Amino acid sequence: MNPVEVQSLSKTFVTKEGPLFRKVPKTLVAVDSINFSVPKGEIFGLLGPNGAGKTTTIKMLCTLITPSSGDALIGGFSVVKNQQKVRENLGVMLTGERTLYWKLTGRENLEYFAALYHLDPSYAKKRTDELLILVGLKEREDMLVENYSTGMRIRLSFVKALLNEAPVILFDEPTASLDPQSSRLIRDIIRDLKHKGHAIILTTHNMEEADELSDRVAIIDHGRIVKLASPSQLKEKVKSSDIIEIEGRRISEQMTIALEGFSEVSKVVVSADDPSEEKCSLRIHAQKGKEVLPKILEFLVRKQATITKVTFIEPTLEDVFIAETGRSLRD
Amino acid sequence: MRTQAGLRATVGALAAIFWKGIKHYTRYPGNFLLYLALPFLFTFMIFGMGQFVGGGNAASNFAARTGTSNILVYEILGSAVWMTSWVVVEDVGVALRDEQMKGTLEQNFLAPINRFTLLVGLSLCDIVITTGIFFIVAGVTIAITFPSGFLGLFGAFLALLIGLVPLFGIGFLFAGFVVKFKEPYVFTQIINLVFATLTGTYYPVTFLPYWVQLLSGILPQTYVIQNMRLIVLENQTLVSLYGSFFILLVLALAYPILGYAIFKQIEKRASVTGEFSKY
Repeated sequence: MNPVEVQSLSKTFVTKEGPLFRKVPKTLVAVDSINFSVPKGEIFGLLGPNGAGKTTTIKMLCTLITPSSGDALIGGFSVVKNQQKVRENLGVMLTGERTLYWKLTGRENLEYFAALYHLDPSYAKKRTDELLILVGLKEREDMLVENYSTGMRIRLSFVKALLNEAPVILFDEPTASLDPQSSRLIRDIIRDLKHKGHAIILTTHNMEEADELSDRVAIIDHGRIVKLASPSQLKEKVKSSDIIEIEGRRISEQMTIALEGFSEVSKVVVSADDPSEEKCSLRIHAQKGKEVLPKILEFLVRKQATITKVTFIEPTLEDVFIAETGRSLRD
Repeated sequence: MRTQAGLRATVGALAAIFWKGIKHYTRYPGNFLLYLALPFLFTFMIFGMGQFVGGGNAASNFAARTGTSNILVYEILGSAVWMTSWVVVEDVGVALRDEQMKGTLEQNFLAPINRFTLLVGLSLCDIVITTGIFFIVAGVTIAITFPSGFLGLFGAFLALLIGLVPLFGIGFLFAGFVVKFKEPYVFTQIINLVFATLTGTYYPVTFLPYWVQLLSGILPQTYVIQNMRLIVLENQTLVSLYGSFFILLVLALAYPILGYAIFKQIEKRASVTGEFSKY
């Protein structure tokens, strides 16, 4: 059996909305019957925009939220029936730097959580030393976390998930807000954990990171897994169309809608680079891109748009997501 | 990896939660100073009001109604127990809410410890803090104004320790409310003022209407305050007070069971609705 087995896992939230005394119950399906498994020594990426259901999935896997239906087995234990055992088999880094006690030092934080994970006190000290050295915080171990930089807090939060050397580790946005050097360090550690046989689930908004680290990626949207394959397989599927990136000014929404009406164009995604200067870029998925490009440019110029740069690009996981859902991961 | 199991693991976790709490108290010392000052301030306020209402007969009226002329010790014992009760009832819930807002509550709930261990760990820290407050407030007052009653302080301390157990039960109950409703001070401040009114903090409960006295009878602070005053001011022994100690022991059994059961129900519901991460 794989360390992680997710079986028809679903979560529905019922919220009450409306004015006081006239609130109406509203049902929100956050996760809709998802299935996947993660074997030993695999990094499994969960990709999706905000509100897609990634964090709810992670929180169900680590027993913070009870599933509405379905189940997941972590190390063979059910997240519904054996929550204590699941927690023993899990290391978790939830997103954000406020997952630590700011009035404790870095060392005190790790030793506190080591005790909650029932580590033998002498071993906890040794393990704390190892982890502080691993992320370059040994020199600052006796400094209160409130005096740490954001990057230092995230690195400490990251190694907190490694304290109990769990067979399954969940990382929710592990490199968010980190500088490139620290991000590289964290990615190297994650790769090392994979080689040691840990099953790793990773959520990230960073496409390059997901592409670089993940053995398989699940794209999740509106609570459902819309694609699950290796990054290279996923990108291969969108290679059948060309991706043209056009940077320019004064490109209106009406123009992008009109471009989507071109028979060769399958998707157009706009991102505003600098709204004050009306700068934006278009990412256009099109069949026979080189043939349709003059037609696209001629249309934009005729509509008074200014084109500053045109590039044909290699597909990324972002493009896979756009192709599958019609919207950007950062939406 | 070397881990501990069974009782050693639980004791290790409890010790860690306890020391974390103590470190937070020492690194945020304002609350501790507030808890030390409030019993004196409330006592002086009551003293002033008594003088104003009772005029020249205030002291003799007090002695006639309470059986003691030592107003300061009588009132400071009530105040010290009230402050202890305040800390215990408020702190477990507030600590949870504080952790919920900071994001550390989820981190604790991710660990393989049960919730009871977490609540008891938080409570253990409060026991040390509250008994410290009690000894400083009551001990200093008695040592200065009523030295002959100083030995009684230790009997009073025992009454307090037994009384803390049911109070923690009430604290667990409020911790559940805090997880659900997220407004800790609304509940705890109202209930603490109700406790001060009903438990004989500043006057004997016998002055309350009969039906209110029935409510006083189910509150542990009533017996703690009463026993302390009898031990310190009237030299009563613990044995002679066995009746009210027995009631305290029953409450010490009932409140934690009831409080934790309600907390567990609310916590179970919170994991369905995802309340732990909501602000």
